[in-house]
Amino acid sequence: MNLWWCGAMKGKSSNMPCCFERESPALKQILLKLYHAEKPVEIDHHLYEFGSVEYYVQSSAADPHHSFLSVLTPLLSQGEIPSNGPLSPYTIQMVKDICSESAEVVEPAREGYQLTLKLNFSMIPKSKESEKVVRRIASVQAVIISSQLKEIFRGVDSHGTFQPIKLVYYPREPFYLIRQPQKITAVFPMRFKEHSDVVIATAFFQELMDVGSSAKWAKTPTCTWAPIPPPELRGESIEDLSTNGGFVSFDICSRHVEGKKLEKTVWTLLNFYAFVKNHIKCTRGLIQRRMQKRLESLVEVLHKGAMEEDNKVKRRRGGRYIRKLVSLSKFKTLKRRCSDIVNKIKRLRYRIKIHGFNRFRRRWLTLPKFSSSRGYSRLE
Amino acid sequence: AHFSTDPNLRPSGRLELRTQKSAISQFRGLKFLGARFDEGDSIIFLRKEIFCGFLSAGKASVMASSLRLYLTCIRNTLEAAMCLQNFPCQEVERHNKPEVELKTSSELLLNPVLICRNEAERCLIETSINSLRLSLKVKQADELENILTKKFLRFLSIRAEAFQVLRRKPIQGYDISFLVTNYNCEEMQKQKLIDFIVQFMEDIDKEISDLKMSVNTRGRLVATEFLKQFL
Repeated sequence: MNLWWCGAMKGKSSNMPCCFERESPALKQILLKLYHAEKPVEIDHHLYEFGSVEYYVQSSAADPHHSFLSVLTPLLSQGEIPSNGPLSPYTIQMVKDICSESAEVVEPAREGYQLTLKLNFSMIPKSKESEKVVRRIASVQAVIISSQLKEIFRGVDSHGTFQPIKLVYYPREPFYLIRQPQKITAVFPMRFKEHSDVVIATAFFQELMDVGSSAKWAKTPTCTWAPIPPPELRGESIEDLSTNGGFVSFDICSRHVEGKKLEKTVWTLLNFYAFVKNHIKCTRGLIQRRMQKRLESLVEVLHKGAMEEDNKVKRRRGGRYIRKLVSLSKFKTLKRRCSDIVNKIKRLRYRIKIHGFNRFRRRWLTLPKFSSSRGYSRLE
Repeated sequence: AHFSTDPNLRPSGRLELRTQKSAISQFRGLKFLGARFDEGDSIIFLRKEIFCGFLSAGKASVMASSLRLYLTCIRNTLEAAMCLQNFPCQEVERHNKPEVELKTSSELLLNPVLICRNEAERCLIETSINSLRLSLKVKQADELENILTKKFLRFLSIRAEAFQVLRRKPIQGYDISFLVTNYNCEEMQKQKLIDFIVQFMEDIDKEISDLKMSVNTRGRLVATEFLKQFL
């Protein structure tokens, strides 16, 4: 049995999806591998992903046409902690719609999981559409999560107002849906750990409001940011309404949830917290890179000045310094040449012994010492 | 230049601005902008947009001129104050310490000079016989500039050894501090050092503005991408 870890550990409160795509990349890779396998493959993989999501993929060589995919994911709950309860009939119907003929829901699901699908890869057409089908199967977790929100948005046109619905997907990060005549308002209380994150996020929310209020983006949901909670949320618990980043609200009308837009809208709203945190992280990285670049340019200016000064000082010292260098070097080269000749002769001496040469060498080949430390000359 | 606060709108749609006669000569070059000068002390703008552009350009030129004056004042003060010489410590033998940091002997310290551009921007220059300390308070208009300034100056202060004359920790009440000793003056040219410090001050302002613009631009692009999801 292979255990593949993908992302953070299970159970951590700071889990959040690291990508905004619906399909799980690891699951997609395994399913494509199964689909393209020429021979039957034995697979028994457990995948763990951000947000406490668990997949179990099983394929046996004895039954090459069928594979099993089990999913366990926290659902949107109305309590404090996301629940792992059974799926609603609407959710199961949504899953059946995406899988069509290539997957079948197995009842009951495998023990410890909420949903088990029996995959039949032979039913997937061998064309360019095959990858799309596999991607749809790999996005089953996103379908489960978003189906709950879709159920709520289906009644967007209903009249009357209801109590705000509190939904918890990430622990300690609830958001609210307030049903009003002709629209549903999604309210996100924003909390950040650091003051600089609050400032960057506030600047982003103001830009979001500015862009959303322009004529070009009139078709998008109206976005508002306020430091205080909207009046509809008065009565909710103080812990949920105490924030340092204010409250961001989106007004969702029927035109934002009709047809294919429903899925996009729901997925965008579910990933709003992750989107904002990703933006803050990238902005901090941008600031860091610019500071580093600026530091290099400032230091270069200082060192350039110092180098120019060194060159000027060297040029200023001029003739006397250079003459001193030249005279020193002549003496050194002469001394070096003499020592080379002496070494050569010594080498020759070791190879061939010539009678009387020692005396000759001592007399004619040694350099005279003009200043003797002993103060006397040696007698031969 | 002094601008009157109640420009008269003529029935034909032209905007007339009254100003002092002494200031008229400075604005003669405005003719190419579609403005003309009336007899007396009025400038007549033919279009409102040109008038608004004139006002903002005037404001920018006023700000630029005040920055120039501020930096010139700091430069002149540094040129006068940066006359440093080696002076061994009087308290501990065989020690040589920057007296401006210790402040143990009052006879070795000069009067500190505080140069203020406005309430938000100021520069404190403290001098002693063998060292000079310059502390800067940078303008921070809003929260975003505040955090960007803090981040950037802290980033530079941590890497102070790259600058040699930068202090690792700024003086209380200021954003960044320089410490110049007699050894720095021996190794580097005094004029170049002063040029570096003045250029540093200009670059800091420019960099904070650029950073703020980058953050806002990035926020706008990300907001656009986010809203595209709903279309």
